[in-house]
Amino acid sequence: MEKEYGYHGRILEIDLTSGKARPKQISSSDFENYVGGRGLGMKLLWDRLTSPGIDPLSSENPLMFMPGPFSGFPPPASSRTCVVTKSPHTSPLNSPYAHASTVSYSNMGGFFGPEIRFAGHDGLLITGKAKSPVYILIEDDKVEIRDARKFWGMGTDDFDRALTKELDDRRFQSCYIGPAGENLVKYASILNTTARAAGRGGTGCVMGSKNLKAIAIKGSCQPGVAHHERFLALVDEARQELSKSQLTNAFRESGTAMALVFSSNGGTMAVKNYREGTFAEVEKIGAGAAKKTVWKRNFACFTCPIACKKSGRTTGGPYAGLVHDGPEYETGTMLGANLMISDLKGILKCIYLADDMGIDAISLGNVIGFLMEAYDRGDIDRGFLDGIDLKWGDVDATLEMVQKIGKRQGIGDLASQGVKALSAEIGKDSARYAIHVKGHELAAWNIQADPFRAVCYVTANRGACHLNGGRISEQDNAAAVDCTGVCNFAAGAYGKTLIPDLLSAITGGTWSETAYHQAGERAFNLEKMFNYREGFRREDDRLPNRFFEDPLTMGPKKGAVLERKSFEASMDQYYQERGWDPKTSRPKNDKLKALGLSFTAGV
Amino acid sequence: MPRKNEIANPAREQTRREFIKDAALGGSALLLLGNLGVLRAVKSHAGPEPVYSMIVVDYNKCTGCRTCEVVCSAYNHRQEVGGKTLMGLGNPKLSNIQVHSFNPDVDVPAVCAMCPDNPCVAACPVEPDPKTGRKALFRDPSTHAVTCDKARCIGCGQCEEACRVGVIMSNPETNNPERMCTLCDGDPQCVKHCPYGSLSHVKVNEGREFYGLKPEKIAADLTTRWYQQ
Repeated sequence: MEKEYGYHGRILEIDLTSGKARPKQISSSDFENYVGGRGLGMKLLWDRLTSPGIDPLSSENPLMFMPGPFSGFPPPASSRTCVVTKSPHTSPLNSPYAHASTVSYSNMGGFFGPEIRFAGHDGLLITGKAKSPVYILIEDDKVEIRDARKFWGMGTDDFDRALTKELDDRRFQSCYIGPAGENLVKYASILNTTARAAGRGGTGCVMGSKNLKAIAIKGSCQPGVAHHERFLALVDEARQELSKSQLTNAFRESGTAMALVFSSNGGTMAVKNYREGTFAEVEKIGAGAAKKTVWKRNFACFTCPIACKKSGRTTGGPYAGLVHDGPEYETGTMLGANLMISDLKGILKCIYLADDMGIDAISLGNVIGFLMEAYDRGDIDRGFLDGIDLKWGDVDATLEMVQKIGKRQGIGDLASQGVKALSAEIGKDSARYAIHVKGHELAAWNIQADPFRAVCYVTANRGACHLNGGRISEQDNAAAVDCTGVCNFAAGAYGKTLIPDLLSAITGGTWSETAYHQAGERAFNLEKMFNYREGFRREDDRLPNRFFEDPLTMGPKKGAVLERKSFEASMDQYYQERGWDPKTSRPKNDKLKALGLSFTAGV
Repeated sequence: MPRKNEIANPAREQTRREFIKDAALGGSALLLLGNLGVLRAVKSHAGPEPVYSMIVVDYNKCTGCRTCEVVCSAYNHRQEVGGKTLMGLGNPKLSNIQVHSFNPDVDVPAVCAMCPDNPCVAACPVEPDPKTGRKALFRDPSTHAVTCDKARCIGCGQCEEACRVGVIMSNPETNNPERMCTLCDGDPQCVKHCPYGSLSHVKVNEGREFYGLKPEKIAADLTTRWYQQ
């Protein structure tokens, strides 16, 4: 193949069963249509898994680490890596396939994605299963599968240090799983730098199923860009845009934690297992409190002027001496407000343990919130919880549950499968308050008072996802950003034209705003077709009854509840605007054709 | 406004330095004293004011984003494109400033300390050139950058050994030393582009906290200071 500007033209494919690695060429048309990151990952997943119902934990399921065409270049905040695979954590209501599940994509910051590109690859694709625990060491073209038996069982914090020590070189970038991923907890995460996570959608579970503890990578090269001088000018422009953006200032000041008080005041916070939208004690866990008591430092991902990551340290009390990130909006809400925990240091301890075990803090907080409610209602008793007195607001009981889930001990085994599985076991009325879509737990934004967020959750292709966007244009835009390697938080400050303009300068393509947007739409529709093939239908785009039946009882949005008729009407409108059949939710053939996805139309 | 002790435009100072140096050297003196001795002599003649300038890091502000690496690399590794010499694409591998990241979170950009006693130059075993007085490794008189004359460098790696901070690295193919800070012709790009204002271009002061220390040592101190660990 001819040299691709902006790309190396290949991904590195590693089969852990045989231990062999080889570069795989990517066609020009796949780069043009799917760009990179989430989009290209989805196309590769479609190409790989040629039939529905493949077990996500089988050796066939590819686990992909996908940077984008911006990765490894200096545009600000081009730091992201999208992990793409078939989800081990989602399921439809009805499907002929026992292992039916959605696509999973999960996006992490840090330095890992850029380093994949420095090593000369546009992505990593891992299949197979190693006989015993291994890690992969990549240095440019050199690939080595190394024994990781001595690291198996290690928490991510200790492992991060142990790996650096073993490699004796700080310039390797790595990502890894904790005990939860090893133990196949369905919502296990993949972490890098001990705190940055590809948290959602069970990516760590798939990694664990391959007996893969970690990947460490280092490289020395870059692809060329098509229009060098123009590229440099646009990078300067982007730096200026970001430096004067209010978004940059706000994120740098408080990270996503700035939203804690704001969201509670707007009645949109997940509180008490989504029963409420406002947390009476939010000031105790908000950014102001964190600044005073735990935050020490700001940290940034590769080339990022924002630095939303806040490193904290606890002093005094039972959780003293802990050094870790947080709270962010998601972690602070899910392991704080949603569990009625207002002890900030306790929340930090819960976040640390979740990250150290390698568990997605969002699903984890949702699962524990569900169990707290079930216990409170008497739908389960203390025996069901192995004797843990799992009361609202109890930090130590929460920590005990996190340990059990990470190790899949006792109740932790069932809880490691998420709220859908728990609710199926508990029965009674518990499906009402098992807060998931397609088996994937909702995130920290509550929806009784936010109908657009309701659409955002139900239509997300990985199951409930707060980053999906409530409006179609937002969804396509978010998908497009995820294809580039640019951070979602920075993309707003880039404005509308800078990203497509940079994409043109990098790749040599002609990326209008419309074409860029359509690339997002294409990725989104291909994901949808993947899910449709697995058996997901309109009836899977549903919400738990709580949101229609339990009006908020406090706060500025007291009384707010979703109205079923208007929700269904907005869904009808959504499918129509998408060019999807409102009965089945399948994208219509003319839509598929317009997006160049006719190859999926046989489904 | 430049901060106290910061050099806003080192080019202005250059003329004066050049003058002092030219006056002091007089050609043969350099052969006798070597670079090191001459510069010490210059320093003593010029009073207590340090001769060199350098990049210093405010670790309290650094977030470890590595923007310094990409802009350093872009400036110091230009690319020929369509007959024009343009800034490079910023491959951080080629950067003279390298960020070392630790757990717990501490980031230490490491860059040439512009040591007044030039341990790297002193370690260079190549005989000074009779005309220029330069070893294979020498201080460029105009930029003050430690510079390698690739034609004469024997790739012995002694400069790398001698470097206090551990900045100098031998190129794995040519064995020539790399990563000596050039100060970007007086307008250091890392200082200009750091989004956090954590870098500054100041006169060398050996008494400055963390001066000339290896990143591991700095990180250990900062870890204790920030996290009591």
